Order: sequence, then C-alpha cells, then structure tokens
Amino acid sequence: MSILKLENLGYSYDSGKTPVLENLNYEFENGKLYAVTGRSGAGKTTLLSLLSGLATATSGRIMYLDCDVSKIDRYRYRSRSVGVVFQNFNLLPHLNAVENVLLSMDIAGVKGGMKKAKALELLAKVDITGPLAKRRVLKLSGGEQQRVAIARALSFDPQILLADEPTGNLDLDTQDQVISIFSNLAHAENKCVIIVTHSPQVAQSADVVYQLKTIRSAGKQPAKT
Amino acid sequence: MYVFKNAWKSITRSPGRNIIIGVIVMAIAVSGSIALSIRRAASKAEQEGLEALNITAQITVDRQKMMQAAREQGGDMREALQGAQELSIEQLQTYAEAESVEDFYYSVNSSFDAGTGLSPVDTSSEEDDSSDTQPDMPGSMPPGGDMRGGMGEQGDFRVTGFSSYDDMTDFANSTAEITGGEVFDIDSADADCIVSEELAQLNGLEVGDTIELANPNASDETYTFTICGIYSYTGSDTSGQMIFSASQDPANRIYTSSAALLAVIGQSESVAQTSTDEETGLTKTTALRKSVSGTYVFADAASYETFQTQVTAMGLPDTYRVTSSDLTQYEDSLAPLKKLSMFASYFVLIVLLIGGTILVAFNIYNIRERKYEVGVLTAVGMKKRKVALQFVSEIFLVTLASIIIGTAAGAASSVPVANKLLAAQVTSAQEDTSNTGDFGGRLGMPAGDQSPPDQGGPGGFRGRVVDYVSSVNASADMVVVAELMGIGVLLTILSSLAALVFILRYEPLKILSNRT
Repeated sequence: MSILKLENLGYSYDSGKTPVLENLNYEFENGKLYAVTGRSGAGKTTLLSLLSGLATATSGRIMYLDCDVSKIDRYRYRSRSVGVVFQNFNLLPHLNAVENVLLSMDIAGVKGGMKKAKALELLAKVDITGPLAKRRVLKLSGGEQQRVAIARALSFDPQILLADEPTGNLDLDTQDQVISIFSNLAHAENKCVIIVTHSPQVAQSADVVYQLKTIRSAGKQPAKT
Repeated sequence: MYVFKNAWKSITRSPGRNIIIGVIVMAIAVSGSIALSIRRAASKAEQEGLEALNITAQITVDRQKMMQAAREQGGDMREALQGAQELSIEQLQTYAEAESVEDFYYSVNSSFDAGTGLSPVDTSSEEDDSSDTQPDMPGSMPPGGDMRGGMGEQGDFRVTGFSSYDDMTDFANSTAEITGGEVFDIDSADADCIVSEELAQLNGLEVGDTIELANPNASDETYTFTICGIYSYTGSDTSGQMIFSASQDPANRIYTSSAALLAVIGQSESVAQTSTDEETGLTKTTALRKSVSGTYVFADAASYETFQTQVTAMGLPDTYRVTSSDLTQYEDSLAPLKKLSMFASYFVLIVLLIGGTILVAFNIYNIRERKYEVGVLTAVGMKKRKVALQFVSEIFLVTLASIIIGTAAGAASSVPVANKLLAAQVTSAQEDTSNTGDFGGRLGMPAGDQSPPDQGGPGGFRGRVVDYVSSVNASADMVVVAELMGIGVLLTILSSLAALVFILRYEPLKILSNRT
C-alpha cells in the first residue's frame, strides 16, 4: 500500500505563469528507496517541498495515508510523519549535534527519559560519536553535518524520509556511507525514503527512479524506470 | 518546556545580542528605578504629611473677587472693599455646625495704646507715630472691620483674646513658653493677661502686677489688665522685618481670653461716641476696634474639602472664601519635591519612549537576523506560535534579568541621587522665594493669600518662611519594583509584538530557499 500518492500534482510559480510540475501521478511505498532525478529546474526540490508540506500544490493533491496533505496540520505532519534532510542541512548553529537531534525530538513530542540516549544512538548510527556529538554543528565538516541532519530527520522515527541532494557536498567515500544509510533505512527499517538527486550513483542504488523533465521540453508524463 | 529550554540555550550561546538588549534595558531600569523611587517617595511624603497634618481653615473676605467684581462693573473699588465685612463670631459659629468640622475656636484682636506707667517695646526702625495717625483711621475702616489693611495695625499693643488654648499655636508648638506665672483661664472674662518678657523687663512688671491700656480712639478710656503670666518667644528672629507700628512688634503682644477681651470691647462700645464724616458720609466711632478670626479644625484634608462645599450650601456668600494656611504652607513645603517628582515622571516617559524605541528597533533587527532560525524551526515542524513563544521568552528573560540588575543598581543609588536632586530643587526654590521676598511679594503675606497671619503667638507679621521638604527616603520599595516589572513586561510586549509580526509573516520555504 502506498504511503504517499501524488494525484495529478502540479505546481507553478508566479501565480501560474511559470509551471514547474504538471500532472504527476507517483506512488511511494514503505520499504523502498526512491530517487527523483532530473535536470536543474525540473522541479525536484519543489517536489520535495510539496512532499514535506512546506509548499502547497497549485493543482492536484498529495495523499498521505489517504489524507490530503493540504488539509492536515502540516506542522504536525512535518514533525511526526516526514523527516527531511535539507540540501544545506539547515541545522541550528548555536546547538551541538546531539542538541539538534534532541530539539527535533522535542518538537515531535517524543516522550520518555531516554531521549538523549536515543539521540546519541541515532548519531552513532550515522557515525557521529564521542566528542563529535557534542560539538557545535558549525565546527563539523560538511559530511558530518549531513549525517547529523540525517540523524535529526530520523529522530522521531518518521515513516517517510525525504532528502534533497544528500550527497551533493560529499566526497565519494562519504557518499557511499550516506547511500548505505538511506538504503538500510528503506530496506531494514521499512521506511519510505525519497531522495532528490543528480547523482547517478544514488539513482542506481534506488529501487525506483522518477525522472522529472522540464515542462517545456517534455509536455508529457515523466517516465518511471 | 523545550521551548524555554531552547530559549535559554539561545540566550547563553548568543551572548552578544543579549548583552546589547541587557544594557539597554538596564539603562532603562536604573533611570526608571531612580525616577520611580522619587515619584513614590514624593507621593508617600505627601500622603504621610497630609495624614499627620492638623488641618485648620479660616473663612475670610475674598477681596480679590470683590475687587475684580468692582473692576468688571466699573464700580468704586474702595467702596466695594468698605462693604466687605468680616464674619461675626455668631456667623463663624454657624458654619462650625457643619458636619465636617471637628473643632472650632476663634480669636479676637484689638489695638490699645499704653496707659499710665506703661511703655511699649520699641524695636521699629522708624519713629512710632502710629498713635498720631490713629484718629484718622477709624473712618476709613469698616466698623469692626479688618485691622490688617492699609499700613497695618495701630496703637502700641496688640491684644489677642483666645477662645481655646489650641488656638495658641506658638505655645502648642513650643516656639513660645510661659516663663513666669501661668496662662490665663480661657473661659474666664476676668481681665487677666500674659505679656512678653521684653515688655515685662522694660516696665519692671511681674506676675500679679496690673497694666493700664488705653483706647487709641479715646485716650481717657482706659482698661486695667492683671498679669497672670510672662512668656518668652523662641521662634524665628523677626529683626530686619518691616514694622510700621509698635503693636506689630512681637514683644508688644498681649494675650488674654476672648471672653475678657470681648468684655472690654463691649464696655468700649457702650461708652463710644459716634459721628458722621461730612465728606464721606461714613460713621466714625471711638469704640475699640476688633477683628475676629475663626479657626475650623478638620480631621483630614477630605473633611476640609467637604467643608468648602458645605459652607456654600449653608449660605456663605461667594464674597467669602475658605482658606487653609496649613494646607497652603504644606503644599508650599512640597513644591521642590513635587517639581522633582514631575521631572522624574517626564524622565521616565522619555526614557521609556527612547529606550522602548531602541529596544523595539533592535529586536526587529534581531529577529530579521534570526530569520534562518525561524525557517529551520518551522521547517522541522515547530509551530509558529511556539517559535514566537521561544523568542518572546528570550526577550522576557533577558529583560527580566536586566531589570532586576538595573533595579538593584537604581535602588542602591536612588536615595543619594534623589536627595541630591531635591537639595538642588530646594536651593532653587529658596532663591526664588528670596528674590520674590526682596520685592515684598512673600513678606508677611503671600501674594494673593488673604488668610490671616499667624495670630497664635508672637511674630504674626513675620515673613512666611517655607520649611521645604529637603530629604526623602527614595528607596525602591515593592511598589517601585512592581512598576519596573510592569515597565519590563510592557517593553517585552512591545518588542515581542514586533517580533511576532515578523515571525508570523515568515514562510519557512522562502527563508530556506533564499538562503540556498
């Protein structure tokens, strides 16, 4: 059963003058790693914004477990159902790695006295351990920040994980590590992982690849490979 | 809870901006603490002083009003004033029936010349020729009228008869005291009196001796008083003040009971000769002149205010007015403090206005700088109202801490600063009074004040020396702290409102996209 379903989804900027996405009909299921690819300007990040509830579709709809995302509390949706790994990580600079993860757990309303232990465990999962976990995020490398962002996205155990170019700023070794983490999340932890990427390596690792084409050149339904 | 935890982390890990906010708020708190302490101290001093004040009032002719009416109607001002009569004892007693009056007493004044074997103390700088001018005066004065007009009193002695010991204020407040014998019986009509030490020494008088006083209008009409006591006056020095007749010299004041003096005046009236001035048509009399002053005592200032309404309802014509020299003097004594309090109020307003504006502007700038943080927090699912709550909590915590520190600093310095400022105000007020006094405006009688001078003891003609409140305990009490907290909350709300508007307008996607 699909956890996310796009029904004739469309989005345009400038009050409809600049369409970016049109009539997308995708389905996303738990336990699979999806890659959304496409050229720059094809609307990959826009799609991610729509999936995360940060933007609202101008046509069509996104169904989350049979609920129209535009009609539910999107703050709750973002804090409980969808974990987002932003391209620029978007970590809070005045907090350290573990505090960034803890804050996300707090926002999601995660209860219990073991939160810090769980946060440290999540960070350990992405290979942020020891002093790194207590270091201000600005003092971490790009790859480390990316991994903290992944840990944060997983902090409240969301069913869906969205990642925007998660390997864009990383070296090859780190890319492999990150892809491995996402693949593991999808296959071992039964999560729906959707990655927006340019990287052929990531696309190759995905179970399903959706390729977005720019509206002007395509004018037709994007292909499913 | 995590909102506050996050707010605290944000404060402690971004000290720079919070120090700036803290310094601004502390400056507001320090100045506000001092200013509010001054205001509070002034208010307390006024209230406590008013509660402790023994308020008395007099009903006097409103000459200013009569003159103004005469001016407006184009009438003869002199004629109008001649028609002004002081209230009789009976009339004064009628108004004493008002519910607001706690006690009532009156004093009667009259002037006498020295009789055989008695000389007045002469400390005046001019020749005492008042006796010579005396015969011309009665015709120009209303019968039984005010003796304080023109050049002042006539005769060698001023005799005052009291109906109550309470009216002898100089004796009550210890500026005068009986040094020999005893005070006369207040209810007795026997012609017993007390005289000053100076007069007694000059004439070799002792307790038990008699003195002879003559009617200034009929020198062969004499009255004998028995000295039952001798008093000394220890009040302020009256040297250097203008004295126009011997009777104005405090040493020539003779005190007796009102019953005794009224009996003497009654005798004088019974033997008086009257004639009519052909030129003016006014009736002249050789009877001893008298002036009566009633004193109404009130429990508090509110009763005094009520009395003013009650006497009007009881039929007091609008050509009379109720005045309280106690209240006037009390209010005068507070003038520097009130001025300082007013400055303090304006200062608080200005500080609040400028400080508040700076704070609001800085917070807007601060929020704009933290736009990214707002974007991230909302992007990961934190509701805008919670983001706003976090930011408001930060502002509130920093403001509160700064206000506490600022209040403490202000409290430590408020007393010395307040007293220093007050001292400057008092000096300024004293200089003003002194300058005005040089031109005669405040000497003897304050300008525009028709209330009778102090008749309770010697020195009735001395200039009004205002005893300014020159020291206050302007310590920051709980009320000041509460007011400052109120200011803190107000500033927080103001700056938070600005922050809230921005936070509510921000859209996470836009913020994060712009950053990307």
